[in-house]
Amino acid sequence: MSPAWNKLLASADRLRGVHLRDLLRTKDRFESLSFSAAHLMLDLSRQRVDSQVFNELIALAEERDLRAAIKSLLNGQIVNPTENRPALHSALRMPQESSLVIEGVDLVSGVHETLAQMEKFVEKIHAGQWRGYTGRAISQVVNIGVGGSDLGPLMTCEALNEFRPPEAEGVDIHFVSSMDGSQLSNLLLELNPETTHFVLSSKSFGTLDTLANASTAIDWLMERSGLSRKQLLRQHFIGVTSAPDKAISWGISEHNILRFWDWTGGRYSLWSGIGLPIALTTGMQGFKELLAGANAMDRHFAEAPYEQNLPVLLALLGIWNINFQDIHAHAILPYDGRLAHLPAYLEQLEMESNGKSVKLDGELVQTRTCPILWGEIGPNAQHAFYQLLHQGTERVMSDFIVPARRYEGRSTGLIEQHQLALANCLAQARVLALGDAALSDAEQRPAWQRYAGNQPSSVILLETLTPASLGSLIAMYEHKVYIQAVIWGINPFDQWGVELGKKVANDLIDSLRQQSCEGYDQATSGLLARIQKLQQEN
Amino acid sequence: MKITVWGQELSAWVARAQLASYGNTVYLATGETEPVVSQLRSEPGLLSALQLAQFNERLIVDEQLALTAEVHWFSMSPDDADYALELVKTIAQTISGPLLIVNQSNFGVGMCDLMQAQLGSELQQVVYLPDLLQAGQAMQQFVTPEALLIGTDSSTAKASLLALLRPFHLGQRTIQQMTCREAEFVKYAITGLLALRLGYINEMAGLCDQLNLDMDAIRRGMSTDKRIGTHYLQPGCGFGGLQFTQYLQGLAELLTGRRGSVLIDTVLAQNEVNKEWPFRTLWQHYNCELENRRIAIWGAAFKAGVADIDNAPALRVIDALLAQGAEVCVHDPEAMQALAERYPKTQKFSLATSAYDACKQADALLLLTDWPEYGSPDFPRLKRSMQQALIIDGRNLYDPHRVQQEGFVYYTRGRNCLSHPASLSEQTETA
Repeated sequence: MSPAWNKLLASADRLRGVHLRDLLRTKDRFESLSFSAAHLMLDLSRQRVDSQVFNELIALAEERDLRAAIKSLLNGQIVNPTENRPALHSALRMPQESSLVIEGVDLVSGVHETLAQMEKFVEKIHAGQWRGYTGRAISQVVNIGVGGSDLGPLMTCEALNEFRPPEAEGVDIHFVSSMDGSQLSNLLLELNPETTHFVLSSKSFGTLDTLANASTAIDWLMERSGLSRKQLLRQHFIGVTSAPDKAISWGISEHNILRFWDWTGGRYSLWSGIGLPIALTTGMQGFKELLAGANAMDRHFAEAPYEQNLPVLLALLGIWNINFQDIHAHAILPYDGRLAHLPAYLEQLEMESNGKSVKLDGELVQTRTCPILWGEIGPNAQHAFYQLLHQGTERVMSDFIVPARRYEGRSTGLIEQHQLALANCLAQARVLALGDAALSDAEQRPAWQRYAGNQPSSVILLETLTPASLGSLIAMYEHKVYIQAVIWGINPFDQWGVELGKKVANDLIDSLRQQSCEGYDQATSGLLARIQKLQQEN
Repeated sequence: MKITVWGQELSAWVARAQLASYGNTVYLATGETEPVVSQLRSEPGLLSALQLAQFNERLIVDEQLALTAEVHWFSMSPDDADYALELVKTIAQTISGPLLIVNQSNFGVGMCDLMQAQLGSELQQVVYLPDLLQAGQAMQQFVTPEALLIGTDSSTAKASLLALLRPFHLGQRTIQQMTCREAEFVKYAITGLLALRLGYINEMAGLCDQLNLDMDAIRRGMSTDKRIGTHYLQPGCGFGGLQFTQYLQGLAELLTGRRGSVLIDTVLAQNEVNKEWPFRTLWQHYNCELENRRIAIWGAAFKAGVADIDNAPALRVIDALLAQGAEVCVHDPEAMQALAERYPKTQKFSLATSAYDACKQADALLLLTDWPEYGSPDFPRLKRSMQQALIIDGRNLYDPHRVQQEGFVYYTRGRNCLSHPASLSEQTETA
């Protein structure tokens, strides 16, 4: 291990017996461990660090030359070597007047061409001038996609629903992802084919889950309209993809394609054409504010010193918890119902990115990498899994995410409800840290009413939830993931782990169709035989 | 009598013209003695009557004198409610003696009471006179009203108003007195019922197309029932007009806000769908591909006899066609100026000076207003000049057999069974 790493190991030993409640007593703790940038405040004062550890973490950043790694990412170096490409989600939110030239091509102008095309689609739909096959205006848009083509837009649409401009009110957005058609089959019962439009979002345009749903959708349209596949595809489908040729050969009209590029990872793609449902919700203005918020975080990430750099600090504290505090569970706890889908979004972002055990040099990692992330709207989770956080045997680190202001101009009852959420957020972070030191009569209580505390957490305070602050929040997590990957020496931008299962499923679908169960392990063969028998009985 | 008329509505200008031509002196506070808006200028008989009144010095613009009249007639836009209240206050401060305020404005229920509260003595009264004029026939309707609806609680106010309007009722017309609030509401109730009838008949027409029935036969059958009668039963591609829509929207808000009822909202929403019937028919006829198709439109005014295009079906149809990249050429006997203002420097949009010019090389003719001059066109001439002999008739102007004999493909609202017996048009539409 490196010198900086060893110092941190020593510090971990040094702080082993020190409780968070004692650390929280140090002078100016909050002032020295809370940081603000780009609409956000990051409070790290409930992390199990003292000023020495903080400095040692900064030294680790310097030792790993994060500055160079940040430059490589933002300037378009090949940071994804197993797929031999850069990861330029940050280029998707660069302002029109800037430029980023890679191998002689200015990516920013291409990005803004796509944005301009997206704007045309959005305006036509919002104006009620995108017409279905009978001539009625499209009023329902169904996004068909999975993974990054689903979670990002879904989470963001849900979060920013109240930012709908009046022209967006006539358009409802739906999301369909599951391979088994569960969501689609219910939705098709309610929708009118004349006024329903499908957005087919697939980076590769080869994702089985998505194509299976798309094919059910087009069959439904054909059956209900009596019209040809070609005509329906032209009026009722937009394709969002980095493989336009495949989309066209599948049948999408070339005029209805929003393209993005293979240098945009699926789980980093909500800023691209994949964000079409977001723009349909917030209008282009709102979508551009989301991009601008993320861009503000990108610039902060590029420029701010490590000691004040939000993504770097969030990453370093994660490293401290995972590699030096032996904590491998990470709870995402938004105290705002609008962020209901944020935990699922971050599960993919972090676990698909950093759920790796082979380093860039091909060697196995010697340290732990990405922890298990999960989460839920905080106040609801208080009635579900918080028991484990307070009195279980697992060490858990938590991110509390909450806006300071909400319901401005709304009823006092609603404003009061937000105060209630804020009070609970602060209370939980406090109790997790202090344990029953937060009480005055702890000593007299029976064992089952005692609280050990000492569970670390971060609080991410938004001024208010807006397209800009949400953009900034997501970009912060994206960059945090990258910084952790750099420190662990892994590639956060590939996902080879998900490939094998797809391949084996292809074999198995053949076996199911052909009624054979030969050539598999005993468990698989046994289950195949059983399923085939049950299917025949019907 | 000296009367000041306030406002720029059609009813304001008609009141000025007719009150002056029956011998009163009519004041305006500011502006011209003629309406500026082209829709009002083309109201039959209005402009000449106003010019005569001005010539005879019975129509006078004078800010000071305007405040001194003993009768003030308010025919203002719904947006001017606050201004109207201020004005009543100013008038009340100027005049100490008897004062009659005749309100015809659509300010909603209860506004007259607020105006009355600004006035001083018993001798100063506000009455409500619902504006029942229809554009196109307003001058005639003002002088020969079917009945007079008067909203007031005061018998002296009623007597003053009847004296003022004596030339127009001569003691022979039915007079209905009610409270101000009731009179304010009457127009909403009338408009709502008319819209329900129109909405209903348009739905029936759509259904007839799906059931292969001739709507005209159904309509004739319905009219034999005296309870139903013959009015407002002609199906078409939707109703429009500024005032009609304003009253309907006001009624819809009242119904939704007070009763949670979506009855009129539904009629309004369905009417918007109806307005696009000609577009949808064309869209389906050309398999959802209208780019660079040349489309002629006859009639843009919301009804024949007016130059007004507010909320007219033509606007929705033109917007839809332009959004699909079609070329649109419009003719209308009266609404050309309003159209030019609405579509300034618009690509692929043009106005034709004659109905036949509009159809040159056209891929379809859409008939959207039933102006008399479109009633019997020279079909062979039309067919020769059009690229495709296709007529989509939103006003049921022609005999389907005849038009087809002339070699046209013909779609009409509620009568497609006569021209497209097995047509798929609208078959798949659901409400």
